[in-house]
Formats: sequence, structure tokens, C-alpha cells
Amino acid sequence: MTHQKTIAALCGSALLAGCGAANVNSSTGFAADWQNDAGVSIAKLEQRLHALPLVPNARVAVGVNDAGLVGASLGSKSHWAYAGHPSTAPFIAGNLVIFGEGEHVVALDASSGAKAWSIASRGLTLRGAANDGTSSALVLGDAHKSLFLGVSASGSGLGSAETEATLGRPAARGGIAFVPWSNQYVSALDIKSGDESARLLARSQVSHALNYGGQLYFGESDVLRFDDKLRYASTNQATHVALPKLDLPGKPAWLGNGLTNVSSEANARTKIRIFAAPAQAANGELSFGAGTFAASYFHVLFGLDAKSGALRWVRSLPADIVGGAAASSGFVVCDSNGKVWSLDASGGDAGSLDLGSKVRLCAADTGAEPVPTGAARGSLAAQIAQAFDALDPDMAEAERFLVSELGKLEDPVVTKTLIDLSSSPRIPPDLRNETRRLLALRKNGTEYMLTALARHYDFVSGVLLPPPVGPLADALAASGEKRAASLLAKHLNDPANSADDVAHAARALVNLATAAEYEDLRTFFALYRATADDESLVAAVVACAEALLRVGGEAGRSVVERAAQDPLTQSDVRRALPDVLAAGSAKPAAAAATGPVAPGGPLAPLAQAATATAVPEN
Amino acid sequence: MLEKLAVIGLCLGTLLPVVAQAAPAEKPKAHGSLGLDSTKKALESGDEARTLAALDEIELSGDGRAAPLVEALLTRGASAKILLRAIGVAGALGKPSSSAAIAPYVKHRAAEVRRTAAQSLAHTKGEVAVKALRDALRGSDPALRGTAADGLGALGAKDAVPDLFVVLPKEVPEAAGAIGVLCAGDECNRFVALLGKLPFEVLQSGFLPLLLRTDTEVPDAAKLQLIEQLRRMATQQANTLLSTALASYPASGNPKIKTAIDAALHGHTVTSSEP
Repeated sequence: MTHQKTIAALCGSALLAGCGAANVNSSTGFAADWQNDAGVSIAKLEQRLHALPLVPNARVAVGVNDAGLVGASLGSKSHWAYAGHPSTAPFIAGNLVIFGEGEHVVALDASSGAKAWSIASRGLTLRGAANDGTSSALVLGDAHKSLFLGVSASGSGLGSAETEATLGRPAARGGIAFVPWSNQYVSALDIKSGDESARLLARSQVSHALNYGGQLYFGESDVLRFDDKLRYASTNQATHVALPKLDLPGKPAWLGNGLTNVSSEANARTKIRIFAAPAQAANGELSFGAGTFAASYFHVLFGLDAKSGALRWVRSLPADIVGGAAASSGFVVCDSNGKVWSLDASGGDAGSLDLGSKVRLCAADTGAEPVPTGAARGSLAAQIAQAFDALDPDMAEAERFLVSELGKLEDPVVTKTLIDLSSSPRIPPDLRNETRRLLALRKNGTEYMLTALARHYDFVSGVLLPPPVGPLADALAASGEKRAASLLAKHLNDPANSADDVAHAARALVNLATAAEYEDLRTFFALYRATADDESLVAAVVACAEALLRVGGEAGRSVVERAAQDPLTQSDVRRALPDVLAAGSAKPAAAAATGPVAPGGPLAPLAQAATATAVPEN
Repeated sequence: MLEKLAVIGLCLGTLLPVVAQAAPAEKPKAHGSLGLDSTKKALESGDEARTLAALDEIELSGDGRAAPLVEALLTRGASAKILLRAIGVAGALGKPSSSAAIAPYVKHRAAEVRRTAAQSLAHTKGEVAVKALRDALRGSDPALRGTAADGLGALGAKDAVPDLFVVLPKEVPEAAGAIGVLCAGDECNRFVALLGKLPFEVLQSGFLPLLLRTDTEVPDAAKLQLIEQLRRMATQQANTLLSTALASYPASGNPKIKTAIDAALHGHTVTSSEP
């Protein structure tokens, strides 16, 4: 890569707005002939800066709308508005909010919204900004070049350095700007001169320099902390932390590529984000705030375990999430209605404020402060159920993720949720198949299952989908739940159930049925022993014959024997019945009184022909 | 739905039999005595052709003594072809004892079997038939719901009126005919009040029987309200309905209602206190 050391002509006053000083253009920034110093220079710099007080960014949320910017301080809840036309997303830099507007970079006081300064952007677009409490570090760029620009508190241009390399988002501390570039370096530039005083060579991708509560980090998919171990970054021994790799809805990225410019317009990525804040855990290990991070997918926010990636909480907000930030514990997110939500590490509501208007995107910073503990929430299973209620049909990806998470939970309420989802007409067929598969595997929530089975399709009452009879039958048969027998028997003769569901019900009744279910079994057998017209129904009839033999005594045997002899009996059924009768004869008659036959039965392969759960026909 | 309404519209002129308490289908005339033993053997033969022939013979004979044989066949089950024939024959025989054997078939998975069973139950009658048809009204088969509504009207199933009101606006226009036959007191007022809220085509099959009913369960005020609303509609359909009602008004009906119909047809206002 070629780096151009620029000794540019001093910028004239025409290039500057609101300042009279010219930039000092560095001849050393981003030098191409830099030799890897094994971390010596960055270590020296860290030692020099170590004792300085941390300078966190302002605790503020700033939204972008058609009228300009709206801001609110997270602490005081003061509001402000800036009328203008931001061309870039706003960056919270120290106590400033910095953004591009036309041919300028503008800085506002974060607490009041008052303009602090404005400086010409030299035809480039603002890519990132930082502030060390006194001066600011800007990175601007286009497709051909990038520019580092130091700016004083009054808006005077300070040092600068231009390069053909692509610069990333900067951070600043103690008069030094940390500027990542070319995905592998972080150059430490003197803000006043633009000269490079140290350089970090990272072995992982680095396009962001970050300020979390005053502590600096460098990285992209994972981050390195600016501490005394950073010198070992080139040998992967620096203090670092990364998020677990997960397949989250919409595939959100945490920091994304910091080498690109960020428009003031929203895009798909605006609403699909990860919010995470590196923080030191109680054991000294570098982790993420309170061990959690959050991922947004439109109006749903998922709280995830920072180590395992397991879903810890979920909540649905009234409007799409268009920005936010992680705190050392908890999160602050803005929705498109302009409401800023403070959520604790468990997703609990810890207060909110209003930006005063709708916003299309939002930047926020929590400073070093944690979000206080909010209102307690229900179990994760209950939270998922609530989130489902608020999901639109076009949120299938979020629904799919939540269903997969449901399957991991033991809470009996999960069974109810899976039943509800399996019976919901708004769930896409493929997802319903998955909820049915998971439901068949449930080992608790029996009462919910029985309640669901008591329900039938009812046009008058508006129950327009039958319960998931097949999966319920499988789950209840696996647990030997005898109370299910009468309910399942009633479903045999309900044509609203799919033939596949009926087959599963009949299979379950082989073991669960008692003499009380004889009449339903006999009716089903009579209706279909000669009219079964698909594999599932044949399987159901054969299973029914097994059940009749077990619970029906002589009468049951007579019904099956007669069918076995009747030429009108459907051919597949007729072929199977002799084996059923033979197996029934081999078992002592007492079996009918004492309990179920062994699972499977003599015709298990045929009767289980339709093992895959499927969506009901209706 | 439109097809259904068209059929109902076409049938408007032939509603009078329904009004006359939906008399069961005319039983076939007996063609000599039936050999019950040989018929039984044929029905149990397992031979489809022989069984069908026996069923034909039963229907032709109209011999009610064969009903238990058909019921036994239905209880055992058979091929779809035989079932359809047996259910139809049981309906033709019209024995209430057959309802229990037919009723399960209203929930058969084959639509044709379901609908044939529902139609037959309207002829075999009894509480079992009513319950089966009420269940069918709740079922997932739209065509069966219409058949069930018709059947419930024919069977005089007054308890089903609340359910019929529920399904009426949900693409079961047959429910209107049943409500017109079955409603009592406020139910009739509620039915008349639906005019203007539901399409006339949906409701008309129930209005004619309502106007022609001679029992005291329909308040005269409801009839008068209906007549006045029909007059105000002043559409050809409304006038046709009123004309049909006037032409077929039963001799035992309240003459005040007949006078009101006549007045309405001449454009005169009808109020509940007028006739």
C-alpha cells in the first residue's frame, strides 16, 4: 500500500469557518516506512497517558430527523434541537456532538445543542470524531484519500495528516488521536501537529478506536484494550475481548467496518445492530458490560450472554430501534418514535425520555455509568411469548430465532407457547412445523397439553385451527399420560385434524386408550377401514385396530376379525390386520385390564408411517 | 358465496315447502315386500355390486323394516360407494333410529359422505340428528355448514338459532332460511334488524318464511317492521318478496299482516300500530 506523506499548503482562511488558524500538516503521520517496533512506542505512550484521568463521552442521545438533530441528556433529561441538514451520522465525542453538514464539520455542545464550532471539510466526508476533553480529532475521507484533522476547543485547525490509506474512526486521549487504518494499524498522532508518536500493529482487524467510559479500545469484530499489555498485540497477547459468534436475526454486526462513511440516512443496518460495551469484570477479566450484550432486529431487542451467546432476555419495543449504546451495565436504545429507553442488564425498564420527535437514526453514549436496575421481568419463556404477540408476520427471522430459543428452555410455559404458535394462523408453515416438532419433544407442561387437546376446530366460536394434535399425542404418549386418552379419541373423528395428526393420535391410543375410548375407536375403525385413502389414514386404522384389541375385549376382537375377512376392507388395512390379530392373541387378555402394550406394537412400521409432523390441512 | 346466493335467490319462489315445516322428502312408493333375510345376506356379503343392488331394492320397497339392516351396514363401515348409497337409503326410509348410525358420517373425512349424511339426517330427524347437524355447523367444511343450517331449519332446532346468527354473516346464507323458520320473539326482531346490515340476498331466504309463519312465536311487530323496511327499499327484489308473500299467504295467517303486505305493495306506509 502506498502512503502519501503530505505536506500540504497551509489551508487558507477560506477553507476554515469560525477559525483563523491554519493547520499544521504532518510529515510523519501514517508513514509507509515504519518498522515494527514490537510495541515499544505504543507502550511508552500508554505509560505516559496512563495516569491521566479518564474522559468519558457525554451521556447523551442524539437523533436525526428531517429538521436536523434532536438531543437529550441522559442524566438531566434536558432537550435540545438543532435545525440543519446533517449529511453524516452524528458522533458523540467528549462533550461534543460532531457531524458533517454540507461542506463543513459542525460541533455542538452535547448538553445544550449550542454550536461550538464549524470547520471546512475540505471536500471530504466526516468518517469519525473524538475528543480528549480539550481538543478534537476528526477523520474525513472519500474513495481516494483520508484526512486526519485536529481541531482545538475553539474550532481552530490544528495538526493534520493526509493519506491515500483508508482511515477508520478515531479516539482521543491526552492530546493524542488514535487513528486506525488499513485494517491493521493504529497510529497515535499528536492532535496539535499531526505527527505520529507511536503505532500499534494489530493481528486482528482494526477499523475503530473507541472510548468506553474514558477507556480506549481498538478493533472491529473484537477489541484490544489500551493498557500496559497492548504492546503485545502483535503476538496476540494484548488484553482483548470478542463477542461469541452467533446466527442472530438479520446477521447484525457489532462495530461494522469503520473505514466507511456513515450517512445521515437510515438503512437496513440501522435497525439491525449489536450494542456491546467492553468492561472489566469483577475477576479482572475483560468482558462486556454485566456479561451481556444486545442485538436489535427492527423493534425487537435480544439480550444475550456475552460468553455463551445464550438468549437471556427479549423485549419488543413499540417502534423500530434506530440506534443506541451499551453501558457498563445495561443499554440505552432509541426507537423511531423518538423515545429513548434505558434498559438494565436484564432488559428491565429503567426509565425513558423523549427526544421530542420521530427520528430516523440515533447515536447515544452512556459515558461510564451503568443503567440502574429496572423493573423485574417474567421468565424468559414468558418474555418470548410476549415478544411473539408483538411480532408482525414479516418478522419471520425473529420468530424463527425465538422458536429455536424456546426449544432450549425447560419452563412448562414453553409448552403453552409452542401450542399457541402451532395453532396460530399467522405463523408461516415452515415455522409451524418447527414449533410442532419441538412440541412433540416436550416433557412438561402436561396441563397445557390437555387443555389444548380439549379444544376442537369450531367455526361458531372462531377457533379456526385445530390444536396440534399430532405433536401433543406424541408428547403425551411418551409420558404415558392416560388422561389424554379420551381427548385424543375425540380427535380421531374430527375431520378438521390432518390425517397425519390423526395417525399420531391413533398411535398414542395404542398405549393410552382404556375401555372408555372403545366407542370412539370403533367408530373411527368403521368409518375408515374401507375408505382409508392415504398412508396416514391406513396407519391410523391399523393402530386403531391394535387399540381395539387391547381395550375392546371380545367385541373389539370381533370388529377387527370381521374387517380382516371383509373384501371391502381397504387392501393395505386388510393385509395388516392378520398380524395385528396374531399379535393381539399372543398377549394375555389381562393386558386390556392391566395396562398398555409395549410401545410400538406389532405393526409399528406401518402405523408409524407418518411420523413427521405436518401442518394441518385447514 | 355468490353461487350460493344465486341458488338461494332462484329458490325463493319455491320456499313454500320449507315454510310448511320442511316436510321430509317424499318416500318412494313400496314395490312389494322385501325379503329381509336375503337382503341382510346381501348387505353382509362383502360384494360391492350385490350390496348396492340390495340397497336399491330397499329404497324401492320403502320398507321401514329394512332400516336396521342399513344401520348395521353403516355401523360396520363399507366402501365409499356403498356408504353414500346406504346413507341416502337410510335418509329415504326416514327412520329416527337411523340417525345414530348416520351421525358419525357427518364427520367423515370425505366431503361427499359428510354432506350426504347431513342431508339424510334432516329426514331421519331426532335429537341425535339435531346434535350432529349443530356440530356440522361448527365444522371446517363450508358447504356442510350450509347443509347443516338447512337441516336445522327443517328439523325445527330452535336451540340452534344463536349459532345460526353467528354463522349467518360468515358466508353461511342458508342460516337465514333456518332463522326465518325457527326464530322466536326477540330473535325475530334481531333478524329483521339485520336488513341493511347484511346483503338482502343473504337474508331474503329467511324473510319469506318469517312473514308466512302462522305460529305466535313471531311478533307481529317484527313482521310489520320487515314489511315496512321492504316497502322503503322499493327494489324489485323487495317487491318480488312481498308479492310472493301476498300470493302465498296462508289462510290461517293474521289478516292484519296480509293487509299490511298489500298496503306496502301499494306504497302505503306500514307501522306496527297501523293494521
